[in-house]
Amino acid sequence: MNTQTLQPRHQVFSPARVSAIASNTLLELIRQKVFYFLLIFALVLIGASFFMGFLRPELQFQVMKDVSLGAMSVFTWLLAVLATAMLLPKDIEERTLYTILAKPVPRFEYLLGKLLGVLLLLAISTVVMSGMFAATLYLKEQITIAGAIQESKLTDPAQIAEVVRNIKASTFSWSLVPGVIAIYLKAAIFAALTLLISTFASSWIFTIVVSVAVYLIGHLVPVAREYAESGGGAWFARDLCGLIARLFPDLQLFNLVDDIVAGNAIATGIFLQTVGLGCLYVAVYTWLAYLMFAKKEL
Amino acid sequence: MPDPAISIRNLTKVYPIPFKRERVTAVHDLTLSVEPGQVYGLLGPNGSGKSTTMKVLLGLVPASSGSTQIFGRDSALVASHEEVGYLPENPYFYKYLTGEETLRFYGKLCGLSGSALRDRARDLLKLVGLENAADRRLGGYSKGMLQRIGLAQALVQEPRLLVLDEPTAGVDPAGSREIRDLILEFKSRGMTILLCSHLLGQVQEICDRVGILHNGRLVREGALESLIAIENQTQLIFENASPDLLARFEAEAAACGARLVEKTKPHTTLERFFLEVTK
Amino acid sequence: MKRIVIVLVALLVFGAAKFPLEKSIHDAHRAAYFHGATLNLTLREQIGQGAFLAALSGFRGVIADILSLQANEAWENTQWSRVLFLYNQITTLQPRLTLSWEMGAWYMAFDAAQAALDDPKQPRQALREKARREFIQQGRELLEQGIRNNPDRYVLYNRLGFVLMHKTNDHLGASQAYAKAAEFPDCMGYEKRFAAYELSLVPGKEAEAYALLLQLYRKEERAPAPKLLSRIKAMEEKLNIPPEQRVCKPPGRPQ
Repeated sequence: MNTQTLQPRHQVFSPARVSAIASNTLLELIRQKVFYFLLIFALVLIGASFFMGFLRPELQFQVMKDVSLGAMSVFTWLLAVLATAMLLPKDIEERTLYTILAKPVPRFEYLLGKLLGVLLLLAISTVVMSGMFAATLYLKEQITIAGAIQESKLTDPAQIAEVVRNIKASTFSWSLVPGVIAIYLKAAIFAALTLLISTFASSWIFTIVVSVAVYLIGHLVPVAREYAESGGGAWFARDLCGLIARLFPDLQLFNLVDDIVAGNAIATGIFLQTVGLGCLYVAVYTWLAYLMFAKKEL
Repeated sequence: MPDPAISIRNLTKVYPIPFKRERVTAVHDLTLSVEPGQVYGLLGPNGSGKSTTMKVLLGLVPASSGSTQIFGRDSALVASHEEVGYLPENPYFYKYLTGEETLRFYGKLCGLSGSALRDRARDLLKLVGLENAADRRLGGYSKGMLQRIGLAQALVQEPRLLVLDEPTAGVDPAGSREIRDLILEFKSRGMTILLCSHLLGQVQEICDRVGILHNGRLVREGALESLIAIENQTQLIFENASPDLLARFEAEAAACGARLVEKTKPHTTLERFFLEVTK
Repeated sequence: MKRIVIVLVALLVFGAAKFPLEKSIHDAHRAAYFHGATLNLTLREQIGQGAFLAALSGFRGVIADILSLQANEAWENTQWSRVLFLYNQITTLQPRLTLSWEMGAWYMAFDAAQAALDDPKQPRQALREKARREFIQQGRELLEQGIRNNPDRYVLYNRLGFVLMHKTNDHLGASQAYAKAAEFPDCMGYEKRFAAYELSLVPGKEAEAYALLLQLYRKEERAPAPKLLSRIKAMEEKLNIPPEQRVCKPPGRPQ
């Protein structure tokens, strides 16, 4: 055994330690075969793409985009909650956490590393699902174009170009990208929130139930905010709505795909504000998770 | 004068019971110290406060009052953990990591990287006898192998202090002996070791000093030999002594006012017997 | 317990700070036509609790698609009231999807209206005509509501002009719709002409229509469309334009 001192001076914050925990978390989740859900996503894509032949082409693409992006939204959210809910309880129960915190690892770095591992997993999943979606959309587009040209028996290049242009107008558009980023942001918020809940929850079931409740209530925040500011109705109802609007995140702000698929596009300035808000939520929930975890008796 | 490896002064830890006004005092006014290079056995029945004391020492749980230090540094500070390696009771680690990946993970947490980390991991695997299982996932390790990989991760940053909680619990006699031999080797290299174990025979073989906790208080503490020696008795073991010789010794002892307490054949240990039979 | 209280208080403080920020971002989104769906109790009663929850949770598009499939089935079964009922829900869920407004309006103003006119179960011609006019009106209302939700897009103005032109005598309405569509840079190109044609059919608007038609005539790079010439000629005769100033010279005079 080498008796020479190996370790460098203690760093108060070490990106290398955070990165070690993050990559370990990602590896854990990958080796637990979480990516098998992508198979289900593939099935959804195939179903949405190739079993709607009785509809007119614009509607087929509409259905395909709605179903695929809806599936992407629910899968990333579900992955965020389920992957994060078990992280802390498992480490505590198996005493692995003791061996990590017995090393010169501050609790904040441990939490941050765990969260970053999940965020990386979500990013990879989102990119892969987006790639699968784009590929399927392209394939469907090409099949539809070939079929439309054959059926119409057109020979004039200008007319063929018109047919192609009309079909392509219904398929991929770069304005979908901000919508997908918003889906990722919503999942990231839930990863941080689930981490916060898991720092004080007595069981992982409680963590998941609370996360689901926040998911449902969060989508009602705009309604609550509008009612609170309306000036009508009973004062206690208005105050309760005001409390809900303040306590819970407004998740509708991250539901952009529905309107983007319907043809809307979001301006860069507004989109960056939305991204900033999402990042703020992640930062605040992570900091609160640290507050809970810092003096937690293990 | 060098700082003690472990210095615990007036440590008290009280746990409140949720939704009740009662409180549980897990450790009451504990004071002990462990000098560098010693092997200290912390003993006590279940619920005596051993685990709580270790957790406070390792910063996993805050003390209600009192102080704990590791080589002169407050043990609640994260920086003090650079000097400590810890093996908890029945650890699981990450099942999906291989032996080498596990050591590299813990090495990175201690600031190691690159070829230094790689070499260190390999050296430790060889030390604990797991070089052939380096690429196997921990999910496929036996209990003894898990304890050995646990020892290896505790040593990854070459700590001056090793804290071991039941290092041989659930391990078969051969594995237990190997772990015990490793601990003795660490001891010979000057490492300070704090050991908690219910296997008193092993504690007796390894430790220099012991402290016995009961109901959160330190009831006895001191050098092992002086604690367990029966002061007013002397043990002599003869080989090939004739019955005549034994009778003469008995008579002489009686004449001098000494009382023969016991005359029996000494025993080997069950462990030695087992190892002889199974090797 | 103490820490949970601290966290709750911190959440409330953060909540108070983020409330105006969220409101401002929400308002910016609404100004960009996002989140325009009116998810209220009426819709909840119509589509059911499960679908309403799903719509709230970010699956408006999927629920609207499911309703579209049901509407397609209702169309095949010529259940026109159900088609209208479903398209009201679809457009409530997806107000920014112009295709839904278009399809709903087409089914009402064309398919349902024609079916009402040909209804063998209704022996009285007057009542068949009345039903036809009601369906056309419903189609028109759908498009007008669609325009209120999509004032930034040309396509529904174009479709409104088309419905009014072919199915009603509201030439002024058709002209105004086509004129509005023509203001958009991505319009089809013919809307300005159609606006002028329809205006020329409105009594009292002949002078205005004539000016528009002349503008179009002078901009034509190739041979003017026959309809353009015929409308110009009609206006010149209605307005008694002196022969030497006419574009379409009377017979016997050189062009």
